[in-house]
Amino acid sequence: MEFKEAQPVRGRIFRSLALLLFGILLLNLFGLMVIRHEYYRDRALKNRQVQFRVAAPRGRITDRDGIPLADNRFHSDITIPASTFSGGAPDSTLQRLLTWFDLPLESTLEDLENQRRRGKARVTLVRGATMGQLMAVEERRPSLPGVRVESRLRRRYLQGPLLAHVIGYTGEVDQDDLDTAPPDLDYRVGDSIGKQGVESAFELRLRGRSGMKLEEINASGRIVGRESVWLRPVLPGRDVALSLSLPLQQTMDSLLAGRRGCGVAMAIPSGEVLAAVSSPSFDPNLMTAAISTDDWRALSEDPAKPFFNRIVQATYPPASLYKAITSLAGLHKSVVDTHSVLEPCPGGFQFGNRWFRCWRRGGHGVLDHADALANSCDVFYYQLGLRLEIDELATAARSFGLGRAVTGIYPEEAPGNIPTAEWYDRRFGPRKWTRGVLLNNAIGQGEVLVTPLQMALLVARIASDGAVPGPTFVMGQTPHEGPVDLPFSSRHMAWIRSALRQVVDDGTGGAAQAAGVPVAGKTGTAQNPHGEDHAWFMCYAPAEAPTVAVAVVLENAGHGGSEAAPVAGAWLHDYFVRAGLVIPEPELEEQP
Amino acid sequence: MMRLGALIPRGDRRLLVCYVLLVLFSLALLWSVTEPLRGSYSLMRVDVPKVVFWRQLLWAIVSWLAVNVVSRIPIRHLENLSWLAYLATLVLLVAVLAIGPEVAGSRRWLAVGALRLQPSEFAKVGVVLLLATWLARRVDSGSRIMATLGSLVLAIVPAVLVLREPDLGTSLVFLAVWLGMIFWYGISGLLLMTALSSAASAVIMFYSERVAAQAWPWAVYIVLIIGVLFLVRLSMSVSVLVLFSNIAAGLGIPLLWARMKPYQQERILTFFDPTRDEMGTGYQAIQSKVAIGSGGLFGTHYLEGTQKGLAFLPERHTDFIFSVAGEELGLLGAGTMLVLFLLLVGRAVDVATTVRRPFASLLAIGVAAYFTFHVVVNVAITTGLLPVTGLPLPLVSYGGSNLLVSSLMVGLLLNLSGHRYDD
Repeated sequence: MEFKEAQPVRGRIFRSLALLLFGILLLNLFGLMVIRHEYYRDRALKNRQVQFRVAAPRGRITDRDGIPLADNRFHSDITIPASTFSGGAPDSTLQRLLTWFDLPLESTLEDLENQRRRGKARVTLVRGATMGQLMAVEERRPSLPGVRVESRLRRRYLQGPLLAHVIGYTGEVDQDDLDTAPPDLDYRVGDSIGKQGVESAFELRLRGRSGMKLEEINASGRIVGRESVWLRPVLPGRDVALSLSLPLQQTMDSLLAGRRGCGVAMAIPSGEVLAAVSSPSFDPNLMTAAISTDDWRALSEDPAKPFFNRIVQATYPPASLYKAITSLAGLHKSVVDTHSVLEPCPGGFQFGNRWFRCWRRGGHGVLDHADALANSCDVFYYQLGLRLEIDELATAARSFGLGRAVTGIYPEEAPGNIPTAEWYDRRFGPRKWTRGVLLNNAIGQGEVLVTPLQMALLVARIASDGAVPGPTFVMGQTPHEGPVDLPFSSRHMAWIRSALRQVVDDGTGGAAQAAGVPVAGKTGTAQNPHGEDHAWFMCYAPAEAPTVAVAVVLENAGHGGSEAAPVAGAWLHDYFVRAGLVIPEPELEEQP
Repeated sequence: MMRLGALIPRGDRRLLVCYVLLVLFSLALLWSVTEPLRGSYSLMRVDVPKVVFWRQLLWAIVSWLAVNVVSRIPIRHLENLSWLAYLATLVLLVAVLAIGPEVAGSRRWLAVGALRLQPSEFAKVGVVLLLATWLARRVDSGSRIMATLGSLVLAIVPAVLVLREPDLGTSLVFLAVWLGMIFWYGISGLLLMTALSSAASAVIMFYSERVAAQAWPWAVYIVLIIGVLFLVRLSMSVSVLVLFSNIAAGLGIPLLWARMKPYQQERILTFFDPTRDEMGTGYQAIQSKVAIGSGGLFGTHYLEGTQKGLAFLPERHTDFIFSVAGEELGLLGAGTMLVLFLLLVGRAVDVATTVRRPFASLLAIGVAAYFTFHVVVNVAITTGLLPVTGLPLPLVSYGGSNLLVSSLMVGLLLNLSGHRYDD
């Protein structure tokens, strides 16, 4: 039988073939399980172990007494994988979410697409989800693959616009930040970073360091491990205490409410800024999330420029405030003495073929040096200016800290301008300008420009013989510059202080008497080619033993004496009531 | 009192031990698959419920009784029943296409009360029985070509019906069984060469069209065939037939490709390039390899496989149960299972060579081919040697129909092993 005879041979062939095939399988198993075992063990580990980055809570910002001004609050976002709308069309999961949450299809997809373009693998569908939205997601979780609720800390500014310019705000890290930040700081897309003000200047102290956590997940991405392993602990950010006092800031803010301008108060001799208001302001809480286009346009196109940090960024001519410097320069250079009487003031002064007016059209008549400062007689200072060199005046101004940035923490800070002969040479060309500029410089007009903070520093240094360092906004902050050595004799300094006191006691600054303690100060009315004059006032108090200096500027408000001085007086009153030096009297409160 | 021996199937003891051990492996693995992961994991829902284990235990008991019965049926009755069995399974295959419920795009089951039966599994027994009968009658007499082509038609009819469910893996089982049995019957060398060269033509055409995107590799192959045919100096008509078969197989590939479901096309393309779709079609193959490879020599420990326990491994109670064995029991456990299967196949070939009746011999080799194909292809898929297609590991994967049918196959072998030298 052929069939029967062939069986042993075919049996061997079949057996050999089976052995060969099973042998291949076994060899392959050996390769997978022994030779490449470690590779696959690692792959299995990587499957289930996921590193989570845990953001450090940002340090709080408080006032000088520890009252919180900026903290963090939990904020739940609903996020989805970017793959759920690949090709511009939402998948069924996303479609359901859009229906439940009643989200507009087109604009939502556009927003998601924008996020994906910024390189995010997960995109945020709902920011700051409501309890109802969170419940809707949690209840149906099994049918929503990939949908996650992510809670993160978001910055909250408890006082809203009150401290916007001082504190600044945080925002999401952008490409610029990622490019410029040192890599060891480990910034990632989605992180918060200080964008302005103290938030930006003290970023390193506030942000802390994010931690790394190892979690075990299952195939659907749920965390199933009972314990997580910290690869790197979270280092929370440290708190920052401002030198500002919340109640004093509120007082200054209410005094400037509805007006355009700035009020700064600084402690003597520490240089700690106690209050600094730039008006109008904006709500920094709008900036931490994605600000809406409408809000942004409204703020950035507002003619009152709420984003403009008038404390350090705005420069104005100091006007008559500068006369204190002109006087000191004159005394220092011995071109006048404390009792000099110059030509009487007829209401103006002829220089070359031009008539320089005094602010009082009727003229002041005969005045000595102190009276001239108290009444802010321009004609006296025109004459004094002409007795000085432009550089002598500039040197006197610079010795107080004018013409340069003094905070060191506000990149937007303007240095102002204190012109010198060299500056005029550059500006107009050598010998293309005349000594006539001295007339303007002597009364703080023309090309002289200062910031409100610089004026507070000027008056604080006059009060303290230069002992006040550069202003600080944060407790313990190293000042940008130390105390200054003023070139002026102590006799001249004592004289200028008594003259400034005379300004308030029986001169243009009488409104500052509202403080309730003796005040020394100077009014100013800066001519403004674009509109109404700016009103200035700077002062310190108590006059005999100063503890605080104030500078106020009100844009297009008119006279410093009638507009700015009352603001400083009212603020000082509040300050000294709180310090226990003044007992509030009802009739004082009612004074207009 | 009933004798205890009546509960134990008769037949070859070593075969019985292999069978029992493999079913115990299956139950142990299914228990593990339905257990929550131990260790430092919070309690979570296991998405393969415990009832899977209990059902399979019930099927194992039913199968044990079936093996017992089949091992005692006189062989002559089996031969007489073969046409009936074959036609009955064809009716079921047609029924499933007509009234079977559609699950995930395919119709594979018939619901009989609470039972879900898979007719394609039962058809395997029907085909093995009928092919054995058909070929046994043509041993040493009649036309070999007729026996070959006739048996091919008998195998292709259920294969095509199953392909329409669609279930590619199972439909290939019929062809594999046919190939094994026709080899045992004694295929003509010319036919074998024609078949193999045509298969090569098909593969090269696929390579030309889909991978290289150029026609010339296939053209070169056809020219080579013509040259070989010219050199071996076969008769003109035979040469033309061989050439025609080669060309038809090559040209058939694009047509077959066009008729494939997109997911099938994707699987084949992904097999040629697994990185093509790492989270989609390639995911199963990659996760399975990770599970097996991470098992190492001794495994992660029973019940502690994370690929299984954290659900990274797909279809872990059915087609990919071998990966669970690899992960938790290591090369030792998985290798033991493979060796048990190899012993089982070896015993089947032993029986095929020692029994005297051609029907019994062909039946035994059919069972051997069934187990060889099923095990080799399933394990090759789980270890990434073949593209993913649904094919259970016999006796081990969850599924009552498959366990029962594989048990019937073992029962047939046990039966035959007791009749070595009958007439």
